Amino acid sequence: MSLTTTHRRELSVAAAYGALLVALAVFAPTFYQGANLRDVLVGAAPVLVAAVGMTLVILARQIDISIGSQFAICAVVAGLLAKAGLTMPIAAAGALATGASLGALNGVLVAGFGLPAIVVTLATMVGLRETLRWATEGVWVQDLPPGFQWMGLGQDVGRFAIPGLALVVWALVAWGMRHLAAGRAVYATGSDAEVTRLTGGRPRRVVFAVFVAMGALTGLAALLSAIQFIDVQTGSGVGFELRVIAAVVVGGTSIAGGRGSLVGSLLGVLLLATAGPALTFLGSQAYWDRALQGVIILVAVAADAFGSATRLKARP
Amino acid sequence: MTYERGLALCLVLEVALFASIGWNFFTAGNAGEIVRASAEIGLLALALTPVIVTGGIDLSVGSLLGLCAVVLGVTWRDAGWPIAVAASAAIVAGVVGGALNALLVARLGIPPLIVTLGTYSLFRGVAEGVTAGVRNYSDFPESFLFLGQGRIGVVPSQLVVLVAAAIAFWLLVHRMAAGRMLRAIGFSPDGARYAGLPVGRRLAGVYLLSGLCAGVASLLYVARLGQAKADAGTGFELMAITAVILGGTSIFGGRGSVGGTLLGLATLAVLQNGLRLADLPAELAGVVTAALLLAALGANRVLQGRTHELH
Amino acid sequence: MNFIKLGGASGAPPRPPARCAGVWPERSEDPLARLHVVEARSNPAPLAALTLTLALALALVLGAVACRGGAEHGKTIAMMPKNKGNPYFASCRTGAEEAAKELKARLLWDGPTETDPAKQNEVVEAWITRGVDVIAVSVENKEAISTVLRKARARGIKVITWDADTEPDARDYFVNQATPRGIAETLAGHAARLLGGKGEFAVITASLTAANQNEWLRQLRLVLAERYPDMKLVDVRPSDDDRKRAFEETQTLLKVHPEVRVVMAICSPAVPGAAEAVKQSGRTDVHVTGLGLPNDARPYLKDGVLDSAVLWNTRDLGYLTVHAAHALATGALKPGVSSLPAGRLGAVKVEGDQVILGTPFTFTKDNVDEFHF
Repeated sequence: MSLTTTHRRELSVAAAYGALLVALAVFAPTFYQGANLRDVLVGAAPVLVAAVGMTLVILARQIDISIGSQFAICAVVAGLLAKAGLTMPIAAAGALATGASLGALNGVLVAGFGLPAIVVTLATMVGLRETLRWATEGVWVQDLPPGFQWMGLGQDVGRFAIPGLALVVWALVAWGMRHLAAGRAVYATGSDAEVTRLTGGRPRRVVFAVFVAMGALTGLAALLSAIQFIDVQTGSGVGFELRVIAAVVVGGTSIAGGRGSLVGSLLGVLLLATAGPALTFLGSQAYWDRALQGVIILVAVAADAFGSATRLKARP
Repeated sequence: MTYERGLALCLVLEVALFASIGWNFFTAGNAGEIVRASAEIGLLALALTPVIVTGGIDLSVGSLLGLCAVVLGVTWRDAGWPIAVAASAAIVAGVVGGALNALLVARLGIPPLIVTLGTYSLFRGVAEGVTAGVRNYSDFPESFLFLGQGRIGVVPSQLVVLVAAAIAFWLLVHRMAAGRMLRAIGFSPDGARYAGLPVGRRLAGVYLLSGLCAGVASLLYVARLGQAKADAGTGFELMAITAVILGGTSIFGGRGSVGGTLLGLATLAVLQNGLRLADLPAELAGVVTAALLLAALGANRVLQGRTHELH
Repeated sequence: MNFIKLGGASGAPPRPPARCAGVWPERSEDPLARLHVVEARSNPAPLAALTLTLALALALVLGAVACRGGAEHGKTIAMMPKNKGNPYFASCRTGAEEAAKELKARLLWDGPTETDPAKQNEVVEAWITRGVDVIAVSVENKEAISTVLRKARARGIKVITWDADTEPDARDYFVNQATPRGIAETLAGHAARLLGGKGEFAVITASLTAANQNEWLRQLRLVLAERYPDMKLVDVRPSDDDRKRAFEETQTLLKVHPEVRVVMAICSPAVPGAAEAVKQSGRTDVHVTGLGLPNDARPYLKDGVLDSAVLWNTRDLGYLTVHAAHALATGALKPGVSSLPAGRLGAVKVEGDQVILGTPFTFTKDNVDEFHF
């Protein structure tokens, strides 16, 4: 099989992304200033980190719509730990641990009790966000020590390190999915959990692990987002889950599980992260933004479906 | 003890609880208010029931409601059409939106979660674009506002629409052959196809119905509030889906009941209203809803094992 | 492990014609269902979890009831912010509770948690059913809420609006911290000072549908046309009340419109967002102003990135609203009254049907330390 058939979806996303970049080069070349490209990448970094986790979740034939609420809680935890005087590495570890525990909650309900993921994460999304709001009443976590912003490394290092770290995480997980047995187990569980169980795999364990990983990665995303500022907004992360799921889906991961790749998710994240500012550069009015984003998602998924009836499934 | 009986018992207990801790909860006037506040979400939940029974989902109903409200406002005020024609235009807009979903899901075979995720942004986005986010249509005629604020005898006018829709959907899902086909499609789309069922047409039908109901719900909403704006119906889809799942319909399809959806809707509406009348904070409603949802899933799982069903 | 078929059921029957596309491409059942059915019969875990969840929900409700507070004495004042997750309203609430305690009144504080335009109406309906003495609302949708407020007045409940008004015949009084025109004039004045009377500026607003911000923008454009014809408003970008979004929009704005010299952020989360973006861009020729809470604005005011933040004392606003509401309920506030004694605020001016808190206040780096909200 040639490269074009196995990686059909990734290629079409890459083509769409290429088309957008060309349109920008022709109609709005000011987009290509170093500062702008850097800012787009820094802004996309938290979404990329979360998209890595969401790719794993969707590959395992599950879904997690509660990551927006997890994001808000992890950011608040990082802020509170820093405010309490703990060093930044500990605050960061706290954010990740909180994310992992929230992910574990989802994991126990889905893998342990066998409840459907979409409804479980709907419930945890609502429950967690309302609890956070009740506890904080929307008041921001302020008066943080100066070492909070950029983890004390300063703006220039920080703005380079954040997308760098996101790419490193992506690369590590992408390598792991391809070369480790754990990676194959995720694909196997997503394709057919029963066959996996019968052939010696442990689908429940895989599903639980995938939710915990999602939670931890959401915690990391929240941290990367929070350290760009000097205080923490408690109502952050609203709509985050939709952005991440859209990026993963546009990138070619099948919602039915077992099919998709992290390369596709990276392309999806880049496409959607660029589309937002691109519209402003191209002169579109703000009130058409949401409609255009919806069109991008629909075109991306519909274009793929116009293929032949007996298309081959892409290798993971 | 079937799931629905358990849910009905839960509802009775809830009413008893709020009757004791709430101010004036157990009055006819309050019952009317509960119906008024939940009529639009009720319509959406009724429409979502057959959609979820087929194993699909429709996240775009709230946004479509907003778009239909804007269509109503634009055709009535800017284009100057008579209110009845403008209202029909709003309903037609709903059907068109539903048709887009139907085309992408039934014809192109794209998973409904993704299609409706895209149309969720698209519909709201078009509503915002057309009004530039800013324009707000109000001062509708009294005859129209009656739909949302009037009474027929002692019952709120929305109740008539809600009851009519409930009966229609009950007939569709439980008494018509089409309903059985929907269940078959939800249980196994491939099996249904090989059994010769017109899967594509049935699927298109449920999404069209969902769009139609969003259009009608938009009329009730605008009549109740007296204004049409692009942010109408924000968050309604999640409430509607919660009501359907609470009612015992399985998210995977193949099983579901309209009666259950109505009970689920009642449970949620009573919860929100009762907490307010008991001077309790609104956030508690969200937390308790989440707990009820998880409890509903757990109960379903338990009852499945008991009755030896696969679904 | 070559016999594990990765990538889906390639051994399945031939795909049917594309016309009859499926919903979920493969099976629709729960991937883990078959693993659980056998166990569900004998596994007590789901039943235990179910009982536990219901017990927890019940405990939460009863616990909240217990913490509700004792029997009421005095008047019941029902106060509603635009939405509950906003630190601006949280600070209004502290003032409101202070006043309620002084007056020995029962304060009910409730409102929508999300920005759903219909929710405010439902809360007011609940209060009508419950029976309260006064309803005080910060209005999200002027036209929508007027019907239900008129209904409340018809039932003998007094109605006051605060922070944002509705139609005048739907309420008895409006506690006004600053008129939209006054706010627009103050903001335009700051922008004019920073631009030297001519140049380009941009606005970061809340959401595109936010009623207050839209009214302020409308007034701003009028003020610009009348007084500052050489100043141009090049763009209005929404932030949806999210600081990060305001940050990203400002970053993009600075590059798309490099001639912009002032960024005006007209909702409180947008002020620190826009200021941080300008600071990180290193553009010292760009200034930020806007409407924001002093706690959010303080670090940027000290830095010099944020020139000024306009607001009013939100705590006093809440405090005054409860005093006015109470006076309305007891009959002390009625047509013809021109001054209202309001506890620690002294005698507050009443003009017609408006209770005036004062004019918009500008926080600068010199005075911001005196305020903590």
